Amino acid sequence: MRSIPAGLEALAFALACAGALTLAAPLGCTRPLPGPQPAGEQGANPRRGGTLRLASGLDIRNLDPAGPTDGLAMQALLLMFDGLVDFDREGRVIPNLADSWEIGDDGRTYRFHLRPGVRMHDGAELTADDVKRSVERALHPTTPSPTASFFEGIVGYADYASGIAAHLPGVAAEGRYGVTFRLTQTDGAFLALLALPSMRPVCASGGERYLDSWTPCGAGPFKLDAAGWQRGTSLRVIRHDAYFQAGLPHLDAVEWTFNTGALPQRFRFEDGDLDLLLNPTQADVGRFAADPRWEGLHATLADNTSWGEAMNNRMAPFDNVEVRRAVAAAVDRSVLPLINRVNISPLTQLLPRGVPGYDPSFEGQRYDPAAALEHMRRAGYPYDPATGRGGWPRPIVYTVTDPSFESFWAQVLAQQLSRIGLRLQLRLVTLPAFYALTQRQGASAMHPQGNQADYADPSAFFDLLFTSSAITAEGTSNTARYSNPRYDEVVARARHSLDAGLRRALYHEADAILCDDAPWAFTHGQHDYVMRQPYVRGFEPHPIWPLDVRGVWLDRPGAAVPAASAGLR
Amino acid sequence: MADARRRARFVRSRTTRLGAAVVGLLLGFSLLGPLLARRGPYESDFLHGISPVTGLPVGPGSEFPLGADRIFRDVLSRLACGGRLSLTIALAATALATLVGASVGVVAGFHEGRRSPLPWPAAAGLLVGCGGALSGRAAIGAAALAVGLAAAIAGRFAGPRIDVDGLLMRFVDVLLAFPFLLLVMAIGAALEQTSAATIFLTLGLTGWLGTARLVRAKTMQVRGLEFVLASRALGQPTIVIVWKHILPGVAGPLLVVATMQVAQMIVADSILSYLGLGIAPPTPTWGRMLFEGQDYWGTAPWLVLAPGAAILLAVWGFNLLGEGLRDALDPGGT
Repeated sequence: MRSIPAGLEALAFALACAGALTLAAPLGCTRPLPGPQPAGEQGANPRRGGTLRLASGLDIRNLDPAGPTDGLAMQALLLMFDGLVDFDREGRVIPNLADSWEIGDDGRTYRFHLRPGVRMHDGAELTADDVKRSVERALHPTTPSPTASFFEGIVGYADYASGIAAHLPGVAAEGRYGVTFRLTQTDGAFLALLALPSMRPVCASGGERYLDSWTPCGAGPFKLDAAGWQRGTSLRVIRHDAYFQAGLPHLDAVEWTFNTGALPQRFRFEDGDLDLLLNPTQADVGRFAADPRWEGLHATLADNTSWGEAMNNRMAPFDNVEVRRAVAAAVDRSVLPLINRVNISPLTQLLPRGVPGYDPSFEGQRYDPAAALEHMRRAGYPYDPATGRGGWPRPIVYTVTDPSFESFWAQVLAQQLSRIGLRLQLRLVTLPAFYALTQRQGASAMHPQGNQADYADPSAFFDLLFTSSAITAEGTSNTARYSNPRYDEVVARARHSLDAGLRRALYHEADAILCDDAPWAFTHGQHDYVMRQPYVRGFEPHPIWPLDVRGVWLDRPGAAVPAASAGLR
Repeated sequence: MADARRRARFVRSRTTRLGAAVVGLLLGFSLLGPLLARRGPYESDFLHGISPVTGLPVGPGSEFPLGADRIFRDVLSRLACGGRLSLTIALAATALATLVGASVGVVAGFHEGRRSPLPWPAAAGLLVGCGGALSGRAAIGAAALAVGLAAAIAGRFAGPRIDVDGLLMRFVDVLLAFPFLLLVMAIGAALEQTSAATIFLTLGLTGWLGTARLVRAKTMQVRGLEFVLASRALGQPTIVIVWKHILPGVAGPLLVVATMQVAQMIVADSILSYLGLGIAPPTPTWGRMLFEGQDYWGTAPWLVLAPGAAILLAVWGFNLLGEGLRDALDPGGT
């Protein structure tokens, strides 16, 4: 028997490969976009039951509200923990676990009245002692809370935070349901601050100190399912049947799958295996937008996140303000929407458009290549773009998470900064490694940083990101290690003022200081974009919270029982 | 005479010619591509790289022969530049793996069945050398290895008698227990900052195990031949016997394995880059290009097809070349 010559065999293989590629290309290109999954007829009548399925390309590192949080963790923390106060759809502070409060005439005493009968996930009733214990736990010096400095105005905070005092005298339980906060100075943002996750009561099992191994337990509408958190893989929270708000939540459970890339997320959503699709690529958004069957099934969430290039003020070359100014002037922000027009809007100042205090008339940091070169010259590192000579002599390690939009933007940024003599060397890391490196002094010279408004007040940005007191050994949000006494003073005055007009003017002044000192080169604001299946009802973008699904119900055809007939309170 | 026949078989083989053509094409593309491309591999073109209709990267056309990528760089230019890097790393890592594998194989095969004095300076030099390479101090590691080898060859530091073959092969067995790619990924993940040098060392220092096994077997076969026994009887030094008789005997199979191993190295390098463990962007690598393009498969398939085809062709070409060499050097398939 004659064997096939090796050459022919190889040729056949080549033809097979070429054929496979030729077939695969059009298949991939023309996979038709399926229509949305069918919805029921319930319309505005909430149904009870069902599991809402979500996915993310990231992972949650922490589910303790007292610890460091991020946008993804906030989605889950919102469901598991309720605070004394909350924000309504207009961004105003409203009662929640506390049904009322009084503010003393001096503006420094806040007395809250808790709702009687609120049940925690462990079945215990929420009392004033729980609130005091949770606040002390969050502000304890051993707790890696990035927001602890927000509360330094509470009487006795300094002694407590330094470990001198065992308790915080400025927070007092008065009776079973009364809690009083006493401040050393007035604070225009204090009420809003109490809505932060770190101030939300936790169960007695949380103890008096922050523990990495604690099983999250609070008073929110959902509780952690047994073994529901598979780190790096998934999270499942289930309905808290004893939740204090009558009729809520509608869902039986909410599930997240982590570390899922954009492409598998899209396929799973199209196939009906995900109910919401968060931040699809702009190519995919184009496909959905072009299909009338998906019309009206998307939502743009609040533009309340600021992004910038954080430059470590204690590391060379960014310990030189002229180098930082050069970077701020060298960044051409106009190309950002070309890379991602779905979620991005260029930003030249600290506050994003969706936060009170944003001033569209303020120019902020301006793209000016000539000025950038001049700043480099003043810094002592003149650079000649024609010859490529000069500039900072060593590569600058730029830490960035991967995969992410930032890792693409970093490559464009590297091109832009190379034109003024700064060479970036990208270091791609996972999200946990990113936090560890950027929050530790001396471990990252430059990196992107984003901050999402935790509450509707400029102090959520100005205090958290740039005040000297926000610099801590671990877990700091001031990763640029920026410290300017004048800035601190202006921000403190704004914080302690109860006059809205004066506060606005002071924060404007603080913004101008930041734009000039350039601890960050501000780059863009970010808003999330969500596609939903038509049976996902009750989903409304919240002005503060990311992906708020507390009021969502699922209206699948004949799948669940209407809430009215399910015996809900 | 035998050499001429082998050469003729090699040149006549259609497999070889096809493999050589594919490899030559890729090498030529990698070398000349960046010179022919209109744009550099690192430059975004926000004017011409964007489709005015969709706002997405433009597809293949006169401006961008293989389309533009997600930040509007020329895919052709990046593919060629990535080819230089991927092929250089693969060839260099194969050379290193072949050198290490052949050395270990010859030493083990030559000492099989007897106990020999431990050349402890060489062993110590090897350990320090590996440590230096993995901690990024390659120069110190190489110097330690060289000193150790020189001292061992001088023969002044002979230690206690040990089973050199058994020791080396058990070490190989232990490392073989780890899947190659898993081992490479673990080392890649452990390195804080990767560069072309660290990838080359990682691949080279983990890819020699199969080569060592093969060379050991061939060495054991050759050392029993009469002319080798005669050389030993005449009192020729070991190093001369190895150089004159053993190495020529194992060179053929070694060349075949090395050629095919280039393909394996290309895949390993691409996997490391794909998983974000390879050379950091913006330096183009085929694996990274594949990764960056995958989310756009439905709308810009050239971002996946271009690097995917390059990897496929490179692997296929080197495998064909290896097969051609095997047919020429060992037509009976022994």
